[in-house]
Amino acid sequence: MIANQLTLIRRELWEHRSIWITPVAIGVVVSLLVMAMLALASGFAKELDVAIFGAQNLADEEQRSIALIMHFLGTSWIFLIALAILTVFYCLDSLYAERKDKSILFWRSLPVTDAETVISKLLTAVFVIPLITCAGIFVTHLVNLVVTSIWVSTKGGSAGTLIWGSLPLIDIWLFTFIVVISSAIWMSPFIGWFLLVSAWTKRMPLLVAFMPIIVIPLLEWIVFRTRFFASAVGDRGDNLPIFHVGDIKMLFDDDEWLRRIHDLQLLDLIDIGKFLTHYETWIGIIVAGLFTTAAIYVRRFRDES
Amino acid sequence: MSSLVTARGVSKHFGSVRAVDNVSFEIEKGRILGLIGPNGAGKTTLLKAVLGLTDCDGSLSVLGLDPFRQRKQLMQQICFIADVAVLPRWIKVSQLLDYVEGVHPNFSRRSAEGFLTHTKIQSGSKVRELSKGMVTQLHLSIIMAIDAKLLVLDEPTLGLDIIFRKEFYANLLTDYFDEERTILVTTHQVEEIENLLTDIMFINDGKILLDSTMDALNDTYVEVRASGENAARARGLGPIAESEMFEKSVMLFEGVSREHLEGLGELRIPSVADLFVAKIKEARK
Repeated sequence: MIANQLTLIRRELWEHRSIWITPVAIGVVVSLLVMAMLALASGFAKELDVAIFGAQNLADEEQRSIALIMHFLGTSWIFLIALAILTVFYCLDSLYAERKDKSILFWRSLPVTDAETVISKLLTAVFVIPLITCAGIFVTHLVNLVVTSIWVSTKGGSAGTLIWGSLPLIDIWLFTFIVVISSAIWMSPFIGWFLLVSAWTKRMPLLVAFMPIIVIPLLEWIVFRTRFFASAVGDRGDNLPIFHVGDIKMLFDDDEWLRRIHDLQLLDLIDIGKFLTHYETWIGIIVAGLFTTAAIYVRRFRDES
Repeated sequence: MSSLVTARGVSKHFGSVRAVDNVSFEIEKGRILGLIGPNGAGKTTLLKAVLGLTDCDGSLSVLGLDPFRQRKQLMQQICFIADVAVLPRWIKVSQLLDYVEGVHPNFSRRSAEGFLTHTKIQSGSKVRELSKGMVTQLHLSIIMAIDAKLLVLDEPTLGLDIIFRKEFYANLLTDYFDEERTILVTTHQVEEIENLLTDIMFINDGKILLDSTMDALNDTYVEVRASGENAARARGLGPIAESEMFEKSVMLFEGVSREHLEGLGELRIPSVADLFVAKIKEARK
């Protein structure tokens, strides 16, 4: 069973190369941008000397730490947006492409159940893509750390004091990992829905997947003047219950960050227990399970001839 | 002999259309059965039922398993190649071997690679880079490397040129078939495989018109080419089909002994294609 799953997930990585090409491409672009910024900054020698002197002698470790955390989490958000887009397109293509290229009967000619196949796609979307994205983020962080350290050293600064000594790298990585994986689990009802659409629709999976998400809230508002569906579905992305205080939007809001981080350590912002015991987490998992079961059912009973 | 496939009153409906209509048959171990029928006769639906790809009414047992409900166990012991079950175009040959090796307990990668060395297929090539003939060779190499008890072929050589078609069946007989293995094949190019078959089944409108061994077929059916008075006498014996060729009447008899027909004209064993056409016409009367 587990060996089968590993083979099935390998197949997903062969077929959907964007799963690993996208993080690599973003990592390269982010690293090049950082290098370009450092090269640009090198042109302002006098200001740079003052800045490095100030950072080394006037700023305290907490200030340096906040600046570095914001910089490194800032370079992560591009990966997170790409992760969301990638997951949507992956799910919608995963069970649709095999019908479109008529390879489904070949896959079904092998001793693999429809449930195993669909579950491998669910696992890829919920865990594998986020894990690869995390790996992309971590490698990019390391590359940028090394490049920036060398650059700071050549400018007369101490990389040990300015960067390595002030950077809670493991905390940043743990924070990123927990937020990314919990987000994927939190959004798993959408993943299940996209898998069902992918297994079921005959054409235009993107349109079919998003049509109800757009039309149902609109109809609900016109008919009942309520926004139950919109708040349950449309606002779900903003309500990830993993933070002690604030929400996921604060990751993209510098002022909010500055206010929070002064009071707490990075990992203190996170409450895994709250996430795991929140009723909406489990409702989401049940809904994802129902959609996935429906996708298995459709793949099993649909006659492609 | 033991039955590999046992069907009793198997039916499959699509709305009001009966694709397979109350069909019963058995396939025994070590046989090569040709399932012959016109387009829309129900061949593919019947094969899908045998492969567990579609549910059906009635009782169907393949290797002692319920194909639809025990498809995974079944697929460890049976293989199929169908013109509609195409290999994914994006995959590399080496990845395909990795995949089948990962999910199939009865697959021998070494055998598959051995078969592939006799072709021009490179392990780093993608399926989309191969010709249609090479894709079929690749598929056959994988199938032949699986220690399966039943091989189902649904129009396996459709669209291939004659060299690849001949090679396909030659490889199948030389490298795959033995008395422990059974092959179920459908094709429109029946004349190319009739010499390979041990059994034959005709299907039309979801019903089986003929289910026979090839040996029994040769004993049961006789073709007579007669002219003039002999033709009239032969006609009196009740041929199931008659046509004209080179100013002679060509008549097909079922269950009439050769002794009765001797002296009326040239006796021949009818081709499967001629017999098939005759049975279809008879059924449509």
